[in-house]
Amino acid sequence: MITLLNYTLAFAAILMLVALGGCVSEHSGVINLGLEGIMVIGALGGALVMKLMPTVGGFGLFFLVLLAAVFFGMIYSTLLAFACINLKADQTIVGTALNMLGTALATVFVKSMNLKESAGNNTSSVIKYENKKAFFTNIGNFELNWFMIVALVMLIVVFVLLYKTKFGLRLRACGEHPQAAASVGISVFKMRWAGVLLSGLLGGLGGITYITTGVSEWKFEEGVFGFGFLSLAVMIFGAWDPIRIGGAAILFGFFRAIGRVYPGIAFLRNLNIPPAVYNMLPYIVCLIVLAFTSKKSRAPKAEGIPYDKGMR
Amino acid sequence: MEKPYAIEMLNITKRFPGIIANDNITLQLRKGEIHALLGENGAGKSTLMSVLFGLYQPEEGVIKKDGQVVKINDPNDANRLGIGMVHQHFKLVECFSVLDNIILGVEPNKAGFLQKDEARKKVVSLSEKYGLQVDPDAIIEDISVGMQQRTEILKMLYRENEILIFDEPTAVLTPQEIEELMQIMKGLAKEGKSILFISHKLNEIMEVADRCSVLRKGKYIGTVDIANTTKEELSRMMVGRDVEFVVPKDPANPKDVVLDVQGMTVASKLHHNNAVKNVSFKVRRGEIVCIAGIDGNGQTELVYGISGLEPLKGGKIELLGHDITKAPIRKRLLQGMGHIPEDRHKHGLVLDYSLENNMVLQRYFEPEFTTKAGFLRKDNIRKYAEGLIEKFDVRSGQGPITPARAMSGGNQQKAIVAREIDRRPELLIAVQPTRGLDVGAIEFIHKQIVNHRDSGHAVLLVSLELEEVMSLSDRILVMYEGEIVGELDPKKTTVEELGLYMAGAKRTEVKA
Amino acid sequence: MNKKRSLLERDGVLTIITSVLCVILGLLVGFLAVLIINPQGAFGAITGVVENFFAYSSSRLRIYNFGSTLAKTAPLIMCSLSVLFAYKVGLFNIGAAGQYALGAGAAIYSAYCLQLPWYVCLLLGILVGGISGALGGILKAFCNVNVVISGIMLNWISLYGVNVLLKPAMDPSGKDTFRLLKKAKDSVLPNIGLDKLFENNKYVGLAIPLAIVMAVIIWIILDKTKLGYELKATGNNPNAAKYCGMKENRNIIMTMFVAGALASMGGAMFYLTDVEQWNVNASAVPGMGFNGIAAAFLGGLNPIGCIFSSYFITHITVGGLNVDLKIYSAQVSDFITAVIIYFCGFVLFFKSVIIGNVKRRTERKVKALAEAEAKKGGTKA
Repeated sequence: MITLLNYTLAFAAILMLVALGGCVSEHSGVINLGLEGIMVIGALGGALVMKLMPTVGGFGLFFLVLLAAVFFGMIYSTLLAFACINLKADQTIVGTALNMLGTALATVFVKSMNLKESAGNNTSSVIKYENKKAFFTNIGNFELNWFMIVALVMLIVVFVLLYKTKFGLRLRACGEHPQAAASVGISVFKMRWAGVLLSGLLGGLGGITYITTGVSEWKFEEGVFGFGFLSLAVMIFGAWDPIRIGGAAILFGFFRAIGRVYPGIAFLRNLNIPPAVYNMLPYIVCLIVLAFTSKKSRAPKAEGIPYDKGMR
Repeated sequence: MEKPYAIEMLNITKRFPGIIANDNITLQLRKGEIHALLGENGAGKSTLMSVLFGLYQPEEGVIKKDGQVVKINDPNDANRLGIGMVHQHFKLVECFSVLDNIILGVEPNKAGFLQKDEARKKVVSLSEKYGLQVDPDAIIEDISVGMQQRTEILKMLYRENEILIFDEPTAVLTPQEIEELMQIMKGLAKEGKSILFISHKLNEIMEVADRCSVLRKGKYIGTVDIANTTKEELSRMMVGRDVEFVVPKDPANPKDVVLDVQGMTVASKLHHNNAVKNVSFKVRRGEIVCIAGIDGNGQTELVYGISGLEPLKGGKIELLGHDITKAPIRKRLLQGMGHIPEDRHKHGLVLDYSLENNMVLQRYFEPEFTTKAGFLRKDNIRKYAEGLIEKFDVRSGQGPITPARAMSGGNQQKAIVAREIDRRPELLIAVQPTRGLDVGAIEFIHKQIVNHRDSGHAVLLVSLELEEVMSLSDRILVMYEGEIVGELDPKKTTVEELGLYMAGAKRTEVKA
Repeated sequence: MNKKRSLLERDGVLTIITSVLCVILGLLVGFLAVLIINPQGAFGAITGVVENFFAYSSSRLRIYNFGSTLAKTAPLIMCSLSVLFAYKVGLFNIGAAGQYALGAGAAIYSAYCLQLPWYVCLLLGILVGGISGALGGILKAFCNVNVVISGIMLNWISLYGVNVLLKPAMDPSGKDTFRLLKKAKDSVLPNIGLDKLFENNKYVGLAIPLAIVMAVIIWIILDKTKLGYELKATGNNPNAAKYCGMKENRNIIMTMFVAGALASMGGAMFYLTDVEQWNVNASAVPGMGFNGIAAAFLGGLNPIGCIFSSYFITHITVGGLNVDLKIYSAQVSDFITAVIIYFCGFVLFFKSVIIGNVKRRTERKVKALAEAEAKKGGTKA
């Protein structure tokens, strides 16, 4: 049971971080479909730090890894911001391209790095389980991953940012009614850039969380198993509200965790259901949930529409 | 003693390709007065306001604030000069609270954190001072249109604007809300604010304004003191004395009923009120019935209801005796409805399609244009399109293969008129069929509509142009705030009387 | 008035130019990437990618490998047609990958487990993907679920579903399904003699002409039929489509059915030629569907253009194996493909820049002409 809780919270942390990223971006008016790619690149940043600085241990390493993931995620998200905000490119195509590009770029990079180190090492994984131990604290049987705390902190930060600050008020105005925002002197372009960059930050954090908690060994070729898109579903189910997103993430994380730990639960094991069904579970739940919640959507009204100054 | 001018727009001229939108217009607003700006649609009011807010730069003329020449390059400059505006379509974020909307852009904050308490205090004291009742914590989409408008006014007051512009502020309000607004405006003027009130509702101007400037067709007609004028005089100034062209037509010869609308009610997308309220009327063969009225009084929704683009909230529609209240759009069209839509880009055309493909938008499925196997008969489409192009003189760069997007507005409209009239519909609904066209094209389209009537069909015309209403229709139904407030005979009425009905100053019971 | 339009203003020409521009930019960025990784082998790597089978010295090998590239192009054409067809109606079929997997699964299952003839296998494959696509369409039409999100979810559900379905068809000696050529010969698509043309490459067969025929059929449907007329109108202007009485929901569901069927036909035909076998433990959605997006946009959203763009993308993907695997990885071509899609997002921007330039040039010319005219007039007077 404690493993179920452990995995639920681990997956929830990933989904929460990335969904918050999607949420901030959409509140500014840009649909970020490239979160999968951002996660991969963010994870790459963090993984490189772990690989290149094995001597830095403990909290210092944790901090550096965080910083690298955030930095990589943000840099990568500028590709989306530039294309969709400045050039008014189709947000769906660009997002899709970023997802493919993220995986391809990371794979090419990591593989060649591994090849350089030792000829014939044609794998696309960087870190081993031992590296990750640095980020765990055991509380009894419960493995507390530090990133769970990061996710919780970010949840509060995003909530405060969106609803308690001047920045958040302006950001949300740009996603709801950019013409109204512009009419009181707010630069819609700048706010949307900020929204996308923040989603890059959170997506990068989600990525590094994914590779340190979600999987035992990770190959860059595999991407993040649709976690970016699951996060978007979490965001929709969470009605673009940080607190509700937190709840939705735990629900989806639970279904994902069942797929991971069911062999350890006698009742589920005895049902004799093929493992693939458990793997499908979060996606099926997601579809059903969306079917019932999409009709009356609370999506920011202007999301996905490039802002044009001439339009009034 | 005359009060000094707060803002002056002197000899403003703004040209667009092919049209002079503002031709030497002067508008002087005194401190503490309510100044009405009167004019029909297309008279140049919105262009003038865009110049004031720096969205356009005028070719000639200057703007003075307190006697000093100022340069306004964008709306932020205007804001800095203390000019604020309540737009016709509010610039409010619907899911925000009243307070959030008011402080947006000028948020009181400490290190970036919102300090709403002091803002709330200021808003409450402002709303008490000017009698603007709002609940600062209510969400915009939950409150009435009147309260939304008060939020917009508070937005200006919060920013300590001195010059307040109201753009057609009563278009979406109920009579009670209008009455409240009038009181509010008077109160604001008493406190020393200068108010520019853009409207074409004469009653309201007479009630609230001190002076009134009139524009017509981009030209400045004059400024009068309200105390020394009458509604009739203002109406004359607005529409001009002479109807400029007359459509030659015989007297109508109405026969059996084609369209019968009973108790129709349609909800509004813009506000919580119904846009069309319990409207009943009939249209017969051989007559042109015109729905007249000022923009936004429910005409659009009326047509959506009849054509099936919006579901009805109540009532019944019969076409040639068949109940079509719930019929799908295609069925209505096949039963003899033709529709020249109000917005040619939204509904009338597929802009990325060629002209010829747009010409068959209503008939592409007929055997003439589609084989039994489902293939388009492109030769026939081409031939048919060429025929229409010639008959209706539709001009375009490459003939039938020109993308609709690449055509001029007038020719796009002609293409739609050609398509709809050529189907010989029993009932032709024509919504502002001549909007934005030049005189020649207008005359041509008018002639087509009269011909359609003369060949024994019914026409329902919706128009905002008084001249068009007077010259083209056989019977006028005036719509005001979602209701039909009068039925007039164009031969027995005057433009002035029509204007009074349209402005809600007069109404008579109408029996369907 | 000069009625003749400059060559650059024609849409077809413009589309080809922008597509070529995207390809060049993609290759350039790819080159920069390999240059950064290892400058010495960079040029060789990128030429290897572009050359693909031309890199072989013997002409027999060249032709044989050309055949293999074509065999891999066929399913990509189908996936790009799927994406294109949906996009014309305003829908983004990112679910092509899952539909492709379903087609593959249904085809392999009916081939190995049911031993059905190839045409039945193919039909079943087409049907399953069509139903999956239609499900996305229904969710969109009646529940307002974004097709992109539902598509992604269906991708994963399809992948795991197919893995379960094909467990019995797994060759115990590996992780893949049995080779159909050995276990279900009647289910393999016929070669119709094409293998002879490619040095007896037994993977070259019906799939290739079938894919090209499908491209032509899609082109005909979109361009020549009432159905295409309605669907494109719905995609271009849903309001106008409603105004003239078209049924939006029906069109959405039907479009997604066709799109799904196209992608799954690609999956079915690919695995029924036995070029590759399905990995029953696959944990990643097949990339074919996503490459279909690239091919559709690179092909200028034209079915015939898709044939060429699909070939190009397959060509560089296969060519990726040519890079020196001691230094680089084969995913260099995936990287280039992804960069190309990214630039495809800018197509509108590129086009407007080109048109803007042409217009400015013509305007300048017209102005110069007018000035010359005026001068002449001036001297006359």
